[in-house]
Amino acid sequence: MIRTAFLAAVLALYSFAAAAQGTIKIAILGPMAFVQGENHWAGAEMARDEINKAGGINVGGKRMQIELIRGDTNEIQSVPDATNAMERVITRDKADFVIGGFRSEAVLAMQEVAMDYKKLFLGAGAAHSKLGANVEQNYERYKYWFRVTPVKDVDLVRTLFAVMGAIGQQIRTDLKTDTPKVAILAEKAVWTEALVAAAQKNLPGMKMEVVGTWQPSATATDVTAELSAIDRAGAQIVFTMLSGPVGISVGGQMCEHNMKAVAWGINVEAQKDEFWQAAAGKAQFVSTLDTYAEVEMTPKTVPFVRAFRQRFNKSPTYNAATYDAINMLKAAIEQAGSTDADKLVPVIEKIEHIGTGAVATFDKRHDLVWAVGKTAGIAVQWQDGKKVPFWPPQVKGMQAFKMPAR
Amino acid sequence: MYWLRRAWSELTNEVFVLPSRTLALIWVAGLLAMPAVYGDAYVLRIVTMTCIFAIFAASWDLLAGYTGQVNFGHALFFGAGAYTSGLMSLKLGISPWLTIWAGTAVATLFGFLVGYLCLRLRGSYLSLATLAFPLIALGLLFAFPDFSGGELGISGLRRLAATPMGNYYVALISMLGIVYGLWLLADSRFGIVLHAIRDDEIAARASGINTPRYKMVVFAVSAAAAGFSGALFAHYLRVAGPSTLEVALSFQVVIWGVFGGVATVYGPVAAVFLLYPLTEWLGSFRSFGELRLLIFAAIVLLVLLFMPRGLAPWVRDKIETLCPRCKQRNGAWRSVCRLCGAGLKAQIAGAQGLVGHQ
Amino acid sequence: MLQDILVTGLVNGGVYALLAIGFSLIFGVARIVNIAHTAFYMLAAYCFYALLVKGGLGFLLAGSISVLAVTALSVLCYRLVIEPVREHEAAVLIATIALALVFQELMLLSFGGNYLGIPSTIEGGVRFLGVGIPYQRLLILLVAAAMLTGVWFLLYKTRLGLAIRATANDLEVASLMGMNVHRVAMATVAISVALAAVAGVVVAPVFVVDPFMWLAPLVTMLAIVVLGGLGSLKGSLIGALIIGYVEAITVFALPAGAYLKGAVALLIMVVVLLARPEGLFGVAFEEER
Repeated sequence: MIRTAFLAAVLALYSFAAAAQGTIKIAILGPMAFVQGENHWAGAEMARDEINKAGGINVGGKRMQIELIRGDTNEIQSVPDATNAMERVITRDKADFVIGGFRSEAVLAMQEVAMDYKKLFLGAGAAHSKLGANVEQNYERYKYWFRVTPVKDVDLVRTLFAVMGAIGQQIRTDLKTDTPKVAILAEKAVWTEALVAAAQKNLPGMKMEVVGTWQPSATATDVTAELSAIDRAGAQIVFTMLSGPVGISVGGQMCEHNMKAVAWGINVEAQKDEFWQAAAGKAQFVSTLDTYAEVEMTPKTVPFVRAFRQRFNKSPTYNAATYDAINMLKAAIEQAGSTDADKLVPVIEKIEHIGTGAVATFDKRHDLVWAVGKTAGIAVQWQDGKKVPFWPPQVKGMQAFKMPAR
Repeated sequence: MYWLRRAWSELTNEVFVLPSRTLALIWVAGLLAMPAVYGDAYVLRIVTMTCIFAIFAASWDLLAGYTGQVNFGHALFFGAGAYTSGLMSLKLGISPWLTIWAGTAVATLFGFLVGYLCLRLRGSYLSLATLAFPLIALGLLFAFPDFSGGELGISGLRRLAATPMGNYYVALISMLGIVYGLWLLADSRFGIVLHAIRDDEIAARASGINTPRYKMVVFAVSAAAAGFSGALFAHYLRVAGPSTLEVALSFQVVIWGVFGGVATVYGPVAAVFLLYPLTEWLGSFRSFGELRLLIFAAIVLLVLLFMPRGLAPWVRDKIETLCPRCKQRNGAWRSVCRLCGAGLKAQIAGAQGLVGHQ
Repeated sequence: MLQDILVTGLVNGGVYALLAIGFSLIFGVARIVNIAHTAFYMLAAYCFYALLVKGGLGFLLAGSISVLAVTALSVLCYRLVIEPVREHEAAVLIATIALALVFQELMLLSFGGNYLGIPSTIEGGVRFLGVGIPYQRLLILLVAAAMLTGVWFLLYKTRLGLAIRATANDLEVASLMGMNVHRVAMATVAISVALAAVAGVVVAPVFVVDPFMWLAPLVTMLAIVVLGGLGSLKGSLIGALIIGYVEAITVFALPAGAYLKGAVALLIMVVVLLARPEGLFGVAFEEER
């Protein structure tokens, strides 16, 4: 009894001292055993080291250092683990701000916990619109949520069609055909439903013919059946909407079958450095939406990508935008002069933050405002083992899109 | 006053005489009083989840331990309760206090259905067939994403109580009530019939027991409890997704059940209370975090080697002995049976291991 | 489309047959439902990856070493973990689940959660009946056929095979007849896991390798084995072909429903079980000890 009281007193003193010392605790939540969590943490570490070395964050005259708390949510395998982690970093580790998340099902649950405690939760991975819709429907409760990356799923569609138009044009000139044939290959998932419908509706209007829609499971390892059918239908573009390992199978098996079609779309696995090896070197010409490359999306992009590669020996994925999130937080705190969440919310709502992957502004759902060259991302294509960025063409550093030889 | 004296005499004569019952009482009292000592929101969350999973594990044990129908797809009932309660409270706006009963009802229906389908299956065939049902359900859910939310499930559900402590007590009282109810059921004549069905179904049928009816009823009761825990889970996490139906959850409950000791309702409950906070605690360490599942599996393996019948029976064997004459349990320190006076110590030195253990 | 279905179904069925036969063998003889069966398949794939890509050994050498290593490991695991708890069926069940989890976590820790690719043994493909089949898949089919013939030969033409069949038939009488039941069980475990390991080595270049790759084939394999009848090798083979074709038909006939192929396969299994509770060729065990 006395021991517990003593311990409590010591802890109280310690936390008081720690607060007096001036650290801002930022919790980074992600699946740390997987590449998404690794990127969350890596981007955050880079931001923390840079900011702390420059003197920390100026909170109304007082300089405070950033302290990172690492929260492993294990969300890919277990949603309750993710909410436990959120609760732990807020109540146990006394985090002031939370950044991260990846699996939409888990982030929806984590959002509830963070909003209960009125903590600022900056999303760095989940694209589902519901996260933003919650803000619109119940502003007072959900206003502490902002999505720093990626753009919400319906905006991803707009980017996809913009690039699709560019590729379609190239096919028209190269292959001398008026209406390129498109096969839709989308994994069966809620997030692809709207995209598939939008594609089926809009592609004919873009003078492209949809030859069919195939929907394998997200974890399918064998797509030869689908690809044979697509080949037989004579498609020239395979419009992919894949987030799971099926993306690897598609890339590798398309090459194995010597298909003349080119794959474009969302292929999350193809965004990773390990993709080429995972497809056993057979992923030539697979193209996908991506966020980071050594191109001058913003003045900060190239230095960030180079520094990241140098420190961590791999390229950043979109989850590394925790770097942007922390820098944006710093700007907001310095502008508001306080770390109080209620004071920061209106500041972030009006902020325009030039990050490394995007120039971020937020709409009333606290989602990124979509604009080509600002938040729409880039498109990359795998050529001979390297990810080559090719869109938007006006950004410095972009290269040419290649088609399989016929 | 009479009730107080009655309670006191019950306690001294029925509960305190046996160390296992005393332990159970202390455990219950501890859980009830815990928020006063350890009001940390994080700890409350962990124990609330533990209570919910304890109901789930106990329901599995009734099915698998007592009737021998080892169910590898128990997550089906959990998910059915979660989704039903979630969908009803979200789409129809009904209070969660009512929808959890609806979730339980739907899970019971599934229990009857699965029980009926599995009537002719035995042993491993039954286990592997039950494995299929949650996966088929998952396929159906994915086929109607507008209704079920697809791989995201349904979110934004309402909580049952407003505060963490309120939710804790809801889960705790439910767990105590349901586990006690299941234990009473297993300890009654109904339970004896279940034992008979597991040991030799043909003999049971030859004695005139309508085994298909018992098997289906057990499936339904077990499914009801599992569905209830699923509904509680959905309203606590405020999300009901396909993770409630996955194979890993079914395997998890099998591990808890066998680890804790099959055919003892309290065994799996003890297993959940031991293993779930342990894995969660391991996960909070930076260095151990990634080893969490490995350590969990290693513990399970080791425990199995030394206590193949499970943890609870092993512990109970160490602290209690069975009287060879009247077959009632006594504290291990006793030398004569408390009820019939028979000697509990072996006549020959070294033979103590053969006397008085199940 | 018909030729697509014919060819795809055959190739996939062959793969499943490799896995299912091993599992069925072990159940028939030792009455062990080895949930870790596909985990050994995963281990072999990882071992093959490590030796081939990291170690730079040739295909044949890397493959053989992987198969031998995993087989040896399985016998070790059997002695240490399974045999002590043989009597308690439930304990054996979760012992194998826990073992599979241990392997999964070890692979996750050593290789990370990323997907790894293994180069094909033979590149290129051939067109048969208008369907493009990569050589690797033909290789899988050939290996599957060779293994199955080997197993058949072992079981029906050798003394060890005779002992295995006798033990599967009646454990106690076999023991009375002087067969060392423990050794026979170990040999069965070795053969069964060897089959799974060969499957892992041959199939891994076609699929991706990750620490969770053992879960999906596990479910399909269980469906096949149950469908064909636990303990019946003929049943496993036929079951594998049935499920292979069912999946191919689902994918080709319903392109927008391709994700349902797993659920459909399981549904078929449930339907068959309703009609025949022991599976198609299964033997109903009268007295289980």
